[in-house]
Amino acid sequence: MTRPTALIADDEEGMRQQLRSRLQEVWPALDIVAEAANGVEAVALAGQHQPDIVFLDIRMPGMSGIEAARMLFNRCHLVFVTAYDQYAIEAFEQGALDYLLKPVGGERLKTTCARLQTLIGQQPDNIERQLSQLLAQHSKPAAARQEYLRWIQAVVGANLRMISTREVLFFQADEKYTRVQTEQSEVLIRKTLKELADELDPNEFWRIHRSTLVRVDAIQEVTRDLRGRQMVRIRNFPELLEVSRGHAHLFQQM
Amino acid sequence: MKKNRLAQAGYNNAKSLLDIIREIGETAVSLWWHFFDWLAQVEWRKLLIIWLLLLILSASLFHFTEQAWGFILLSLALKVLAGGKRKAELEARHAESQADEESIERRVVEARMAALQAQVEPHFLFNTLALIGQLIETDPPQAARIHQNLIDYLRATLPQMRAKGAGTLGRQIEMSRAYLAIMQARMRSRLAVSIDVPEEMASATFPVMMLQILIENAIKHGLEPKIEGGRIDIRASVEGQMLQVDVVDDGVGFNPFSSDGVGLANVRERLRIQYGNRAQLVIEAPLTGGTRASIRVPYAPDIFAGNSK
Repeated sequence: MTRPTALIADDEEGMRQQLRSRLQEVWPALDIVAEAANGVEAVALAGQHQPDIVFLDIRMPGMSGIEAARMLFNRCHLVFVTAYDQYAIEAFEQGALDYLLKPVGGERLKTTCARLQTLIGQQPDNIERQLSQLLAQHSKPAAARQEYLRWIQAVVGANLRMISTREVLFFQADEKYTRVQTEQSEVLIRKTLKELADELDPNEFWRIHRSTLVRVDAIQEVTRDLRGRQMVRIRNFPELLEVSRGHAHLFQQM
Repeated sequence: MKKNRLAQAGYNNAKSLLDIIREIGETAVSLWWHFFDWLAQVEWRKLLIIWLLLLILSASLFHFTEQAWGFILLSLALKVLAGGKRKAELEARHAESQADEESIERRVVEARMAALQAQVEPHFLFNTLALIGQLIETDPPQAARIHQNLIDYLRATLPQMRAKGAGTLGRQIEMSRAYLAIMQARMRSRLAVSIDVPEEMASATFPVMMLQILIENAIKHGLEPKIEGGRIDIRASVEGQMLQVDVVDDGVGFNPFSSDGVGLANVRERLRIQYGNRAQLVIEAPLTGGTRASIRVPYAPDIFAGNSK
């Protein structure tokens, strides 16, 4: 009978060593054929060695353990390994995916190995659905962030400066450029107001004029000038911004 | 019908007349209280000059001397009898509202600062403990060093354990060294570190946990996602009256669509509370790749630091 084989994927060498030596104690027959330091390598080495079992760390550079798992799940039995992961652990318990907590060892590892021994030679469960859910959940904060522009890139001197949208008081179209005003500085960028309006969070910035986007948080008050035009006053800033008639509805009932 | 309407109009007139009288009364009362408050608070010297002017004017121009004397006597009596009490009342009320405002403001700032204190990331803590567990078996002396670094880091990070005088650049660098030593033990060859902070700047005032937030960001968002890893450079320099501390990494660089994150917003808000417009957090993307984050604060070296050594 051939020995069962396994692959260990973890970006920290110390953790790979520890898992290897623990596995050798608990399951001497298990042959650890390869070690990978990131998700991409794990997938490549798994393809090359065709192991029965893959131990996957969740947080790895390049490709996370969960992403790697989606490419491997029907070829081998998977066990996730993590030190702490609030989303994943919850999902593992619900989805009955096998997982180990670092530092690995003791009864928990014995139980997992005993279960794996009975599974060797069988077709791995189809866990695609659980993995998709897990992946969606795991990357949810990242995905939510992807939606809107949060940093304005502006050339200042010889450098590309990143200005957080939380610092911006307003954007104003200025011929070919767009003026970015913060409390401390004023810079010009090439991005048009229209592009900005499309990329920024519409709850964070309001268009009050054809040529003005203002950060809602920065508005101190809205007044009327002698000609009856609505003017926006910005906190800690002397300039008043005109609200065009087409956008006056923003400030009705205020 | 017509009569009726006339009566109605008459009633309306009477009502509006009553309203007018009531308004005049209210205005008179409020004017009286304004006058009374003014009288209570005006200095004796000013009052004497006003009396004198009034006497001269009334005697020379209007021949209302009697009324002027009447006013003077009335105001004198009021000032003497009730002025002191009224003045004290007004002052007390004013002081009270000011104290209220100040204490509310202070409590708001304190609450905000407390909320903004950085937290130890559980992921970091558990991974470091797992590493120590592994090193105890394979390399006990290294385990002891990492263990010591973790203690130094926690001592500086947990707000309730933070020692007095932690707010100097030297102390902040020390804690960052402890953190970076741990990260180097975990990431091995994937993380290179260089720290260049001149000795004389070690005693300069520098807000707690800010350098740490920049370094954690550089590792978490810049270097950890990069397969081959990279390096992190920490530099301090003084230009004019400003102390600038840079954290430079050659990691994957900045994603303009990634959230500002709690960390950087926290740094920005605390700089604003502590220094107003005199401090700055600047994030740049150098042409060579990676990210440079800089904090500029007014340079305040401790002039007694040299003596205590």
